[in-house]
Amino acid sequence: MSIVQAKDLYFEYSKGVSVLKNVNLSINKGEVVAIIGQNGSGKTTLVKHFNGLLRPTKGEVLINDEPSVKKTVAELSHICGYVFQNPDDQIFNSVVEEEVAFGPSNMGMKGIELKLRVDESLRTVGLYEKKKKHPLDLDLNQKKLVAIASIVAMNPELIILDEPTTGQDHAGLIMVEALINTLRKTHTVIIISHDMNLVARVSDRIIMMCSGEVIFDGLPKVAFTKNALMKKTYLKPPIITELAQSIKGFRRDILTVDEFMDELMLLRKKRK
Amino acid sequence: MDIITFKNFSWKYSGYRGWTLHDINLSIAKGEFIGIIGKIGSGRTTFCSSMLGLIPHFYPGIMEGEIIIDGVNVEKSSISKLSSIVGLAFQSPSNQLTGAGTTIEEELAFGLQNLGVPYEEMHKRVSEMLKIIGLEKFRKRSPFELSGGQQQKVAIASVLIMNPKILVLDEPTSQLDPLGTEQVFDLVKKLSKKGITIIMSTNNIDYLSKFADRIILFDNEVVKVDTPKKILTDIELLKKHSLTHSVITDVSMKLKKYGLYHKDLIIDFDELKNVIKGMIK
Repeated sequence: MSIVQAKDLYFEYSKGVSVLKNVNLSINKGEVVAIIGQNGSGKTTLVKHFNGLLRPTKGEVLINDEPSVKKTVAELSHICGYVFQNPDDQIFNSVVEEEVAFGPSNMGMKGIELKLRVDESLRTVGLYEKKKKHPLDLDLNQKKLVAIASIVAMNPELIILDEPTTGQDHAGLIMVEALINTLRKTHTVIIISHDMNLVARVSDRIIMMCSGEVIFDGLPKVAFTKNALMKKTYLKPPIITELAQSIKGFRRDILTVDEFMDELMLLRKKRK
Repeated sequence: MDIITFKNFSWKYSGYRGWTLHDINLSIAKGEFIGIIGKIGSGRTTFCSSMLGLIPHFYPGIMEGEIIIDGVNVEKSSISKLSSIVGLAFQSPSNQLTGAGTTIEEELAFGLQNLGVPYEEMHKRVSEMLKIIGLEKFRKRSPFELSGGQQQKVAIASVLIMNPKILVLDEPTSQLDPLGTEQVFDLVKKLSKKGITIIMSTNNIDYLSKFADRIILFDNEVVKVDTPKKILTDIELLKKHSLTHSVITDVSMKLKKYGLYHKDLIIDFDELKNVIKGMIK
């Protein structure tokens, strides 16, 4: 069952310049989908249609089978939660728990119910101990988690993470990856990312964009063997895939170090 | 010849407890390509800002020791004087782009205009730079109509066009797509070969290992200065300072664990490739 569908979707910021061209896709409930593509390929523009921040110039977007244009941004944000690329674009309260409470209290939640929801969201992202802190006293890794928690608190069906690992160090990257694996149990997740190593490890499906068009939609294993397509939109496969592809005899669709080692052992066995 | 010297340099931002950078002693030779690594909050951005004199001239705080850039004492000089020697590209292009120009070419020409560079020369340098960053098509567009990654390229170009002796880049590729990242590293390498001293803060260790002459590991102090291979294959050291090793090194560790390989851990892609090829011949 699909949560988001785009049908013949076109979008222009200014007249005559299409940022999205004839996009057709369907995101199924429970999937973790990665949208990848070069800077300026339309990834963020596309997902901003899912929570109504942008409206189609032509074509339509269906959210839970209903046209998005019939719903307000507030209604759509209950279904599709969008976490901004830069947490500073999103965070404005002076206490972490107030920041996280903002969304659900706007939805009319209050009292103990609100408190429980906020605590649960902070636990999900691993920031419960920091709930009384000022968001700006947190480091960049933690600010990102606050931004994610405040969207999780609204309990949307779909969570969109726009470049969740940008500006994060190694510790932040591990936290974000673990969080995606937590969220996938209860939510549909879309990530926009340039980090192909992350994308290879967490996504069920990849949508590749180039100049506003979808040029590939399918399994990560297949996506990362399409080197010509990837190059067209300024991507490179994950380094482990690249390594496997550079050695004669190796499968070309390896995504993890473990798979790589298995393949190596297999090739050594065959040799004997 | 050393172009950058830090002597017992410490810095504390006013209003903060503790030193952001403590007792830094470093000498960087002209033409070196230095990689800076460290976790968030380790003082990397502060270090980058210090060479342009943003510290102590722009940010309030307490400074100890001294920094000498190309013979100029930073504390006794000014940001405008230092900016003729040092080009600093920030992590976020929105901090860099002046908005003074309505088009990308005007944005790039802004610094040159301020220096009074003749029109013909300016036009030539802008065209060259647009070619280098691959945005010739967009020359008449507004920088603010570009994507984050494209803006980042314009921001770097606006620094490069001033021909600095020292180019300092603070996480310049964090918002770029993979090929954009590769292009920026290739570009920086090219500049390095021309003799420009490069200081690049990044956690993209796969590229640093290929390009940097030396790496400095920061954790509010200089923890270690050494070759990329020495630092990036020191798993315990990286872990201790909340950093990780490359996928390449990870594979070489697994090879050791499986008893297939017995030499030093590997950081170089081609070296690993050849080791593995030897195993399945």
